Amino acid sequence: MKFEYYLKGKIAFLISQSMIMFSFSFLLALLNVSTYAIMLFSFLILFVTVLVIIVEYTHHNKYYNEVYDALYHMEKKHFIAHVIDEPQFGDGRVLYNVLHLATKSMNDEIARYQILEEEYKEYIETWIHEVKIPISCIGLLCENNKSDFSQNIQSEVNRIDSFVEQALFYARSTNIEKDYIIHTIQLADLIRTCVKKHSRQLINAHAEIHIDSLDFKVFSDTKWLDFIIGQILSNSIKYRRQPFILNFFAEEQPNNIILTIEDNGIGIPSNELSKVFEKGFTGENGRVFAKSTGIGLYLCKRLCDKMYLSLTIESIEGEGTKLHITFPKDKSLVMEN
Amino acid sequence: MKIYIVEDEQMIRLELAKLLESYGYECCYDDDFAHIIDHIFAAKADLILLDINLPYYDGYHICREIRKKSDTPIIIVTSRNNDMDELMSMNLGADDFITKPYNTQILLARIAAVLKRTEAKPATDCIHYKGITVCLGKGSALCGDSEIELTKNEFRILTHLIQKGGQIVSREDLIEELWQSDEFVDDNTLTVNINRLRHKLSEIGADEYINTKRGQGYLV
Repeated sequence: MKFEYYLKGKIAFLISQSMIMFSFSFLLALLNVSTYAIMLFSFLILFVTVLVIIVEYTHHNKYYNEVYDALYHMEKKHFIAHVIDEPQFGDGRVLYNVLHLATKSMNDEIARYQILEEEYKEYIETWIHEVKIPISCIGLLCENNKSDFSQNIQSEVNRIDSFVEQALFYARSTNIEKDYIIHTIQLADLIRTCVKKHSRQLINAHAEIHIDSLDFKVFSDTKWLDFIIGQILSNSIKYRRQPFILNFFAEEQPNNIILTIEDNGIGIPSNELSKVFEKGFTGENGRVFAKSTGIGLYLCKRLCDKMYLSLTIESIEGEGTKLHITFPKDKSLVMEN
Repeated sequence: MKIYIVEDEQMIRLELAKLLESYGYECCYDDDFAHIIDHIFAAKADLILLDINLPYYDGYHICREIRKKSDTPIIIVTSRNNDMDELMSMNLGADDFITKPYNTQILLARIAAVLKRTEAKPATDCIHYKGITVCLGKGSALCGDSEIELTKNEFRILTHLIQKGGQIVSREDLIEELWQSDEFVDDNTLTVNINRLRHKLSEIGADEYINTKRGQGYLV
């Protein structure tokens, strides 16, 4: 608390003190009291006033400094009222009570939104599981009645399914709690499963798959990783050039294992490369070649961040794109928190 | 091979049964979910496909009840794909866990894998079609008395074509079939494999066994 502010608050007290000092001096002068006595008297009043101001200021200042200090060190500042002590001076007490009531009301409000969000997320999850039943039903119907017509329906249904999946992971990525389980994953198995899962789209795009040196174990959540790789694959399919080649390989570094997914597609202009992980960013490719929502890579990045993995991109326009996922070798790094 | 389908969505159940029957499995199911466990035991199936969200009892309960009395392989097929569901299923003794919507090739591959794993005797099933016999355990093709060794890919292609005997199989379907066994072949490799296979078949006297349907696929 600045001394200046404090003094401004004490203006009435200072005026009254000086009025007392002057009126008494005037009265004493009228009563022919000696000038020295009047000066001594005035000096006493001045001394007491300054003393009171200094003592009170130090007291208040100490308290408010503590409050600021606590606030500065807090991560969730809206819990401030629970951390600070009740002050011993009157107006401080009033403010303390106001702060207590205000933060309580705000925390109630936050809790209300948290519950709302949680309920909404639960609803989205349930809805997604419900909608997957008709989706798989259509899949079976198409499989049992194969024709060009049913294949077209199937490929549209696949698109619906991938949007649905995206929504599910979007809901999961906004969750404050972590809801993933870290497993030991064989990279080779993971990649094979992902490729098989997207076999239809890859085969229709005439993909040439190369899987090299993936004999590594990593620690991560299978489902999340599966989704992330699925998104990367669907981007590669969307922005492919013929002949379409997909390379999967991994490298070992002292502390990390880096998985690389490389395609020979149309690539990304270098000035857009830094923005591809931003929400809603579609870029030139997204506008020219295929409809893009700007959610896929953003979501991948977010999920990777949540699992303490790093996701980076490299691309040369017209030559291809590489996505790198870096897994720490130390299991405890992904298990923490 | 008899597969019991526990699934309350009628449409899915019917189509799933149709699909599995087209791949040579026998299917049975029931609508009486209040006594579903008794029905499952009565059917004496070789494998059970089990949904989790069901009327009366959930899939976990059914799984637990089956495991008390029998070792029949169980594959849980569900649209819930939490890690918790998967862990729970495995802990209750299910053999595999597949989420909807499934790629039918993946479902078929998992069913085959679980059956192979749990079966005591090795698979010696032989399929005959139009004079050619393939034996699943051997990796070779027979025509009359002459036998020819096939590579893994050639054998898979031939088996798939014979399983679908009389129907046109698209190139994409064949590639997908090979992908399911971790052979990520491309268009060119498939062409090479088909040509070699034709060559080998004509060596044992089965000329023109595989017909090309231009723009559609292959037919035996």
